[in-house]
Amino acid sequence: METQPVVETKGLSRYFKGVVALNEVSVSISPGEVVGLVGDNGAGKSTLVKILSGDLEPSAGQVLIDGAEVHFRHPRDAKNRQIETIYQDLALCENLDIMENVFLGHESYRNPLLRLLDRRRMYRETSQLLEQLAIRVPSTRELVMNLSGGQRQATALARVAKAGARLIILDEPTAALGVNETRNLLDLVMRFKEQGKTIIIISHEMRDVFEVTDRIIVLKRGELVADKRTAETDPDEIVRYIIRGRD
Amino acid sequence: MTAQPSADASGLAVRLPAPLVTLLRRRDSNVFFLLFVLVAAIVFFTIQSPYFFDDRNAFNIGRAVSITGIAAAFATLLMISGGLDLSIGAIMNASGLAAAVIMVDPENSIILAFAIALGISAFIGFSNGIIVTKIGVNPIIATIGMQFVVRGMTLATRSGSALVRDRAFLEIGQGELAIGTLEIPVPVILMLATMLLCYLVLRFTQFGKYIYAIGDNASACRRAGINVAGMRIALYTLSGLGAGFAGIVLAGLTGAGIPYAAGSELSVISAVILGGVSLSGGVGVIQGTLLGVLLVGVLKNGMTLLNINANWQMVVEGSVLMIAVSLDQLKQRI
Ligand SMILES: Nc1ncnc2c1ncn2[C@@H]1O[C@H](COP(=O)(O)OP(=O)(O)OP(=O)(O)O)[C@@H](O)[C@H]1O
Ligand SMILES: [Mg+2]
Repeated sequence: METQPVVETKGLSRYFKGVVALNEVSVSISPGEVVGLVGDNGAGKSTLVKILSGDLEPSAGQVLIDGAEVHFRHPRDAKNRQIETIYQDLALCENLDIMENVFLGHESYRNPLLRLLDRRRMYRETSQLLEQLAIRVPSTRELVMNLSGGQRQATALARVAKAGARLIILDEPTAALGVNETRNLLDLVMRFKEQGKTIIIISHEMRDVFEVTDRIIVLKRGELVADKRTAETDPDEIVRYIIRGRD
Repeated sequence: MTAQPSADASGLAVRLPAPLVTLLRRRDSNVFFLLFVLVAAIVFFTIQSPYFFDDRNAFNIGRAVSITGIAAAFATLLMISGGLDLSIGAIMNASGLAAAVIMVDPENSIILAFAIALGISAFIGFSNGIIVTKIGVNPIIATIGMQFVVRGMTLATRSGSALVRDRAFLEIGQGELAIGTLEIPVPVILMLATMLLCYLVLRFTQFGKYIYAIGDNASACRRAGINVAGMRIALYTLSGLGAGFAGIVLAGLTGAGIPYAAGSELSVISAVILGGVSLSGGVGVIQGTLLGVLLVGVLKNGMTLLNINANWQMVVEGSVLMIAVSLDQLKQRI
C-alpha cells in the first residue's frame, strides 16, 4: 500500500483578473520527499506555493493535507497544519531586528496573560538557533533594514527552522546567496530531510535542484508539464520541459 | 552571511562622526532632537518673560495640552501601524456632549455618562476600522466621511448642553491633585497616565511589537500568521476611545458639552508627526508624541506671554511642524 501523501492538489486553478496563473494542477507529495518546483518566470510556481501556504485562495480545485480536504483562508491556517514558508520576497519587517523577525508570530512571553514579551529569552534562543544553522550575522539586535540580501535570507530561514514545521516551502531560497551560503542552505535542506521533513523548493538553478531533490515538477504557463523522479531524468530534459512544455 | 554591518558601509558615516550617526539611526532619535528644542524654547521664554518659568504657568501649559495629549497617545499607536483617524475632533465633541447631557440631570451617575460616551466613541472607532479593513476604503477618506457623519449627527441631536453641576465630573477637567507642595491639574495626570499606558504597550507587549511590524509590512505580518485586520480594527477602536475620553475631560474642563473640539484632529495629528511618527507607519515612540504636544504648548504659551498675536502663533506652529518633518526627511538620506 502506498503511503498517504502529506499534501495533494486536485485540479488546482487560480485566476487573476483574466490571467490564468495556475491551470488545473494536480500534484501529490509523500512524507519526507524533497520536491523541486521549476519553470520559467511567471509559470505559476509562487502562486502554487502561496495557495499551499494559505496566502492565496484557489479559484478552483482542492488542497488535501493528510488525505483530507482543507480550506486555508489565512496563512495562520496553514501554519496550524505545520506548513512553513519562506516567501520569494522573504516577508520580513525592516524596522524590526533579527530576533523580532525570527519570532514574529511565535513570541515567548514573560506574562502570557498580558502578552509581555520575554525578549532576553528570545535573543538567547535566536543566537543558539543561528549557531546551529551555521548562520553568521553581526548581531541578533541588528535591524533587518541594515542587512545584506544573504543575511535577510538567513533571517527568513531561521524563522522557518524556529517554527519547526512538517512541510517546509522554500521559494527561490538561493536567489540572493553567494557560493558558500548556497552550500550552507543545501546542507540545511538535507538536514531537514534527515529529520523527516517534507520540502518543496523552487529554484532556477538546475545544479541545486538536482543535488537535493527526489522529484522535480515542471510548470509552464500555469500548467503541470512534467513530474519526474530526479534519478530518472537529467538537467537537459528538465530544461527542455521548461522551454517547450509537454512533448 | 559574512557581510559587514552596514553602519560602516554607509558613505555618510565617513563624513559624520560615528556617535552622531548612531544617534540619528536610533528608532527614537527624534526624541533627543525634540528635547533639545524644547529646552531651548524654555530657556528662551524664561529670559524673555518673567512670568514664564513658574509652576502655575507650567500647569497652565499642561492643562492646555492635556486634551490633545490624551487623544494623541492613542492616535500614536494607530499612526505607527500606518493608520490615520481624521474623525478624532468629531468623536471628542460627540462624546463630551453625550457625557455632559447625561450629567446635567443630577439623578444620573457619572459611570453611566462614561459608559455611554465611551461606548459611542468606541463604536465610531470600530466602524472606522471595519470600513478601512473589511471594505478597504482609504483611511483618509473613510475617517473624513465619518467626521462629517458624526459631526452632523451630534449637532442634529443637540447644539450643546446646559451647565453641569456634578462635582466629580467637573473635577476631571478642573480638579487638582496635591502631590507634595504641587497642585497638579487632574487633566495633566490623566494625560501622563494615558501616555504611560501607551508607552508600556509599545515597549513591552506583543501588541506593541505588532503595531510596529504592521506599520512596516502588513503582508509579512499576515504571512507570519498575525491577525492584521483584527489589530487594525482594535487600533481604530482605541483611537476612538482615546478621543472620546479626551472629549469627556474637555467637557469637565468647560463645565458643559460644547462642541469646541471640531478640527482638533489636526492638532493631534501634527503633534504626533512632530513627535516623529511617519504617516507611512512603522516608526515613532510615545515619548516623541509627549514632547511634540509639550513643545506646541510651550510655544503657544510663551508667545502669548510675549503678546504675539494668535495669527502669528499659527504661522510659527505650522513652520515648526514643517521644519521637523523636513529634518526627518533629510535624516533618512544618512
Ligand atoms: N497578485 C497578482 N495579481 C495579478 N497577477 C498575478 C498576481 N500574482 C501572480 N500573477 C500572475 O500570475 C502568473 C504566475 O505568477 P507567479 O508569481 O506564480 O510566477 P512564478 O512562477 O513564481 O515566477 P518567478 O519565477 O518570476 O517568481 C504571472 O503571469 C503573474 O503575472
Ligand atoms: Mg515566483
